[in-house]
Amino acid sequence: MNDVTTATENTNQSAVSVQDVRKTYFLGEPVHALDGVSIELQRGSYTSVMGPSGSGKSTLMNLIGCLDTPTEGRIVVNGQDVTALSGRERTQLRGSEIGFVFQTFNLMPRLTAHENVVLPMVAQGRSRQDRTERAHQLLERVGLGERADHRPNELSGGQRQRVSIARALANDPALILADEPTGNLDSETGASIMELFADLHAAGNTILMVTHERDIAEHGDRIIHLLDGKIEREDVVDAPRRPTMGGDE
Amino acid sequence: MDVFESLRMSWRSIRGHRLRSTLTTLGVVIGVGAVITFVTLGASLQGAIIGDIATEQSPAMAVSTQQAGSQGGPGAGGGQAVFTEHDLEQLRAIEGVATVIPQGTVSLSGVTYGGQSIAISSMQATTPGYFEQSGQGNFSAGGPFTIGERELVLNEPAATIFEDNVSVGDSITVTRSGGETINATVVGILASQAGSGFGPPGASQPQIYGPTDPFSENRFESPATGENQRVYSQLTVVAADFDQVDEVAERVTAYLSTDSDARALLPSSYEVSVQTNEEFVAQVQSILNTFTGFITGIAVISLVVGAIGIANIMLVSVTERTREIGIMKAVGFQNRDILQLFLVEAVILGLIGSVFGIIVGALAGFGATEFLDLPFAFPLDWAGIAVVVGVLVGVVAGLYPAWNGARIDPIEALRYE
Repeated sequence: MNDVTTATENTNQSAVSVQDVRKTYFLGEPVHALDGVSIELQRGSYTSVMGPSGSGKSTLMNLIGCLDTPTEGRIVVNGQDVTALSGRERTQLRGSEIGFVFQTFNLMPRLTAHENVVLPMVAQGRSRQDRTERAHQLLERVGLGERADHRPNELSGGQRQRVSIARALANDPALILADEPTGNLDSETGASIMELFADLHAAGNTILMVTHERDIAEHGDRIIHLLDGKIEREDVVDAPRRPTMGGDE
Repeated sequence: MDVFESLRMSWRSIRGHRLRSTLTTLGVVIGVGAVITFVTLGASLQGAIIGDIATEQSPAMAVSTQQAGSQGGPGAGGGQAVFTEHDLEQLRAIEGVATVIPQGTVSLSGVTYGGQSIAISSMQATTPGYFEQSGQGNFSAGGPFTIGERELVLNEPAATIFEDNVSVGDSITVTRSGGETINATVVGILASQAGSGFGPPGASQPQIYGPTDPFSENRFESPATGENQRVYSQLTVVAADFDQVDEVAERVTAYLSTDSDARALLPSSYEVSVQTNEEFVAQVQSILNTFTGFITGIAVISLVVGAIGIANIMLVSVTERTREIGIMKAVGFQNRDILQLFLVEAVILGLIGSVFGIIVGALAGFGATEFLDLPFAFPLDWAGIAVVVGVLVGVVAGLYPAWNGARIDPIEALRYE
């Protein structure tokens, strides 16, 4: 796809830049969910975030996903400072620049696979013909061309996750944000999903994956370890796992 | 998001939640249906009553006397006999008056026919014009009497009261309460008519009609002329046409309340009443309007109940769809898109509910009018109002839940199970 190739050429610019971000919740006493975190996500990079529960993974994801704003610090998504945007502009940015892949898929239960993929494009006001074509392409790409008219409850877990990946790609986002994408899948299905992510990475998409499984995290080029709201350490993965179909896991 | 897209998505959502949508629609159906039923019933009842009156309508007004301050209903005549021949002449001379028909009650002790005497306590003394105006001028035999002749007209019950039925040409004897007897010829028999409830009193009772001359012997000295003249308790003044009824009524009232004999003769506690048919119709109409208002009140209450039902179900529906709202927000839908979706859904449900409500209401109204044997009248303007109200109810009842839904925090919503 052309748009994907353009993204690859712009690797010198950050897709997402997290700059000394703090997020404090006031639950009787202030709780620092994130305490001075800085991350640069280069275009075309594949990054994993690991950490135990309560380490601030979810908070970081919500902030990068433009679902929430930091108490302090800046988050720049595709050149736009999220902290300076209004709620509406933030929603707009989220719709066009962030593609979510959730552990629990979060598909609309009464819409078909095709309609679920179309949904983000409806929100962006893209033309009917444009979005129908794009949804077809994307479903073909994730290997679900045949199942386009099935509802989520007629699809297997792996198929559902493929639909949600297709949906995440709909508006050609700057970042694909995956939150435990294999958490609800058996290992074989999980492997095939990881293969799909590897394909997307190879095609130049920027991926941020939150997980608590080491071997899933090792698919990334880099692993960021979070602990108590701070970056504990960063590992560069020398040879990222790249499963092939019928993979080794 | 454009309206067409939200229509499509709302419609999907409505179809996706059949039971919930049906229940919501049912609320509107009941509300709008109740309005239409009650209003149809009101309109039909009104049409029936006004229709009954209108068939007997002529540009006439009843002039009588009544105690000051009392409500003159139909048939409240039989007041004081104060209208003299002089007054009649004066009234006939008023511009726009076609005829003036006097009416008086003559007390009798009995009527004799074929050797059989029957106690009938009164007869009506009037002029032939009475039969044209009273709405009961259908003669089954013969015709009206002539002034100055000893002739009588009997209604059906009076003609059949004796062992041998009275027929035209027969001679009967009436005995005044004073004992004086008058032999008279029967010249006409009135056809019996269905009692409308608003016709002249005693339509189904034996009635004998005779000309004022010679039967009416109620005389009094006319203050204006000093002559001893016949006096009547009731007059029917007929205007030349309907357009003039109001003006004529005013002139008649003006004359009677200033320098008429009636004014001079009337006890101070009494007043002259000039009642036109229109006034009567208007009176009935105002009663019916009150009735319709009351009924509409009930209908509005049922609409409010329906609205609360919608709001309730919409609120539940928002809660039920919290996660879906979260998903939609995550993929880039704005608050106003969510609001729009819920509102469009409410409007669609309101519209469908209204349409079905109108059908249900019209059927129920039709059934009720059939059951009550009333002519069916469907208030078309109310059908329009009901649709508008149904949609409004949908919007108003859906507004708060929709607003609530739009404000849901996507982070919370995505975590919601």
